[in-house]
Amino acid sequence: MGRQIGEVILDLKNISLSFGGVKALSDISFDVREHEIRAIIGPNGAGKSSMLNVINGVYRPQQGEIVLRGEHFANMTPARAARAGIARTFQNLALFKGMTVLDNIMAGRNLQMRANLFQQAIWFGPARREELAHRAKVEEIIDFLEIQHIRKVPVGRLPYGLQKRVDLGRALAMEPQILLLDEPMAGMNVEEKQDMCRFILDINDQFGTTIVLIEHDMGVVMDISDRVVVLDYGRKIGDGAPDEVRANPDVIRAYLGTSN
Amino acid sequence: MIYRENGQFKTSYAADQQIFPIRQDRIAILALLIFAGVGVPLFADEYLFRAILIPFLILSLAALGVNLLVGYCGQITLGAGAFMAVGAYAAYNFLIRVDGMPMLIAVLLGGVVAALVGIVFGVPSLRVRGLYLAVATLAAQFFWDWAFLRIRWFTNYSSSGSVSVAELDFFGWRIETPVEKYLLCLGLLILFALVAKNLTRGAIGRQWMAIRDMDVAAEVIGIRPMYAKLSAFAVSSFYLGVAGALWGFVHLGSWEPAAFSIDRSFQLLFMVIIGGLGSIMGSFFGAAFIVVLPIFLNQFLPWLGGLVGVTISTAAVSHAEFMIFGALIIFFLIVEPHGLARLWSTGKEKLRLWPFPH
Ligand SMILES: Nc1ncnc2c1ncn2[C@@H]1O[C@H](COP(=O)(O)OP(=O)(O)OP(=O)(O)O)[C@@H](O)[C@H]1O
Ligand SMILES: [Mg+2]
Repeated sequence: MGRQIGEVILDLKNISLSFGGVKALSDISFDVREHEIRAIIGPNGAGKSSMLNVINGVYRPQQGEIVLRGEHFANMTPARAARAGIARTFQNLALFKGMTVLDNIMAGRNLQMRANLFQQAIWFGPARREELAHRAKVEEIIDFLEIQHIRKVPVGRLPYGLQKRVDLGRALAMEPQILLLDEPMAGMNVEEKQDMCRFILDINDQFGTTIVLIEHDMGVVMDISDRVVVLDYGRKIGDGAPDEVRANPDVIRAYLGTSN
Repeated sequence: MIYRENGQFKTSYAADQQIFPIRQDRIAILALLIFAGVGVPLFADEYLFRAILIPFLILSLAALGVNLLVGYCGQITLGAGAFMAVGAYAAYNFLIRVDGMPMLIAVLLGGVVAALVGIVFGVPSLRVRGLYLAVATLAAQFFWDWAFLRIRWFTNYSSSGSVSVAELDFFGWRIETPVEKYLLCLGLLILFALVAKNLTRGAIGRQWMAIRDMDVAAEVIGIRPMYAKLSAFAVSSFYLGVAGALWGFVHLGSWEPAAFSIDRSFQLLFMVIIGGLGSIMGSFFGAAFIVVLPIFLNQFLPWLGGLVGVTISTAAVSHAEFMIFGALIIFFLIVEPHGLARLWSTGKEKLRLWPFPH
């Protein structure tokens, strides 16, 4: 691989988050280095998705701070995260169901589009030029994800595996520096999983995108990630290279405890 | 001519992003426009203009406005009538209070005022949705009903409470005959439909639809809900305001606040549901349907009654109208939320494949 893992780009410090009485995250700290693939694993309800939601500002932690490229935040907002180059996909698909694949991915370009309402109303001129330029960019993503044949289909009509791809496409359209993927391979068959793995590795390799990945499939995690964080009941029980984590007795116990 | 897109390869994204990418559609629309602009004025009589065509054009414009907000941005409104009223009374006041104010400019300014009012009454949408938003917009309806009835300044202290516009002057050209009124409305409608299409196929349209379909995901890709929702309220209210001003100036000539009551708000909502939520063409279908159905029933039901030897009173016809609307609304909400527009496009899809079933 041509990529080289760089400095810490995102640092999460002592994050605690609770919903009413439920402690979803307790005092979690870990960092993410530039260009790496950082996996978050853990049994169901461990707080993995909550962690991503904290990183891109959908949830506000009660305690802790987020350091993004040296800038400190008590909490993020979705808008700030988006502008800072953080994109994500969702565990339970959050696509725009009534829109076509093309429009879903074009929507991901939203922050880069500048034409104002009046220019858009007239269409000819700046709005059209911009639309065509971004369309070309979006078509590159469509080619990359191999979804040319469905670009005009409303996403609500697509099978699950393809919807997952569109979700990834929309995130990629933001040209993010950090990409958060929440179980991108859940519910897929072996072949679809292989495709998705290939896309993730290519994104990481070709564009140098830093990836934070939640995944249940241990084989996949061990194969593609550089470092792994393990959560259990909202606590961090392991952190390190895949081999280290696999040998960690706490991790083994947590997994045996839930899967049996 | 066979309806096909085979052989029409698109060689650029520009060609693919046209409003009507299929050539046959472009020809059909052109023919329709020529027919509407040249053919109709040649044969239509005064009744057709006054009772059907002019109301249809103006209500189409209003339905477009409602559809942008409800169909595209997913924000329910029961206050459409109020924004028409704001447009109508604002335009009226510009016309009588500003010396030498051209009629068309007054109408457009009516739309601008309605847009500003729309932004204010759209603010609740930032906090509430669904039923609660419907109630908040209903409050707008009641407030403006009250304001135009009670605040005499708006009606220029007219003793009867009704206001009228004596003559319509289009930059020196007096608009008097039904044909002229029809052409004025037609021209404006075409222009506004084009703008609506441009907005909905571009960046702002995607923002509206994103907010409608999944607001959390929309925020995560950097869409600002406040801007998206309030711009939808503004544009929608602008359309409604212009439609309201035309309704008052061109269709009614003189009017009272009741012209823009809650009934009108519901009627507009029904139009977009029956016609097709989130479809420009659906707005036209819905308006046509609602304008034509009562007239059709008025002719058809007594005739039907005659066949079986029953006299059907006018009252009975209007009851039947309510029942049929009610049934249709339920039908479309449950069976085909995309309305007549979807039925139309399904039909076209079939035609494109015909005579081969697959
Ligand atoms: N919006 C919310 N409101 C209330 N509780 C929540 C909310 N989101 C998450 N939780 C709770 O926080 C805990 C962690 O949930 P989270 O979704 O982060 O787990 P997860 O590790 O992603 O699990 P899974 O593998 O099932 O996706 C759970 O107990 C969950 O019920
Ligand atoms: Mg989860």
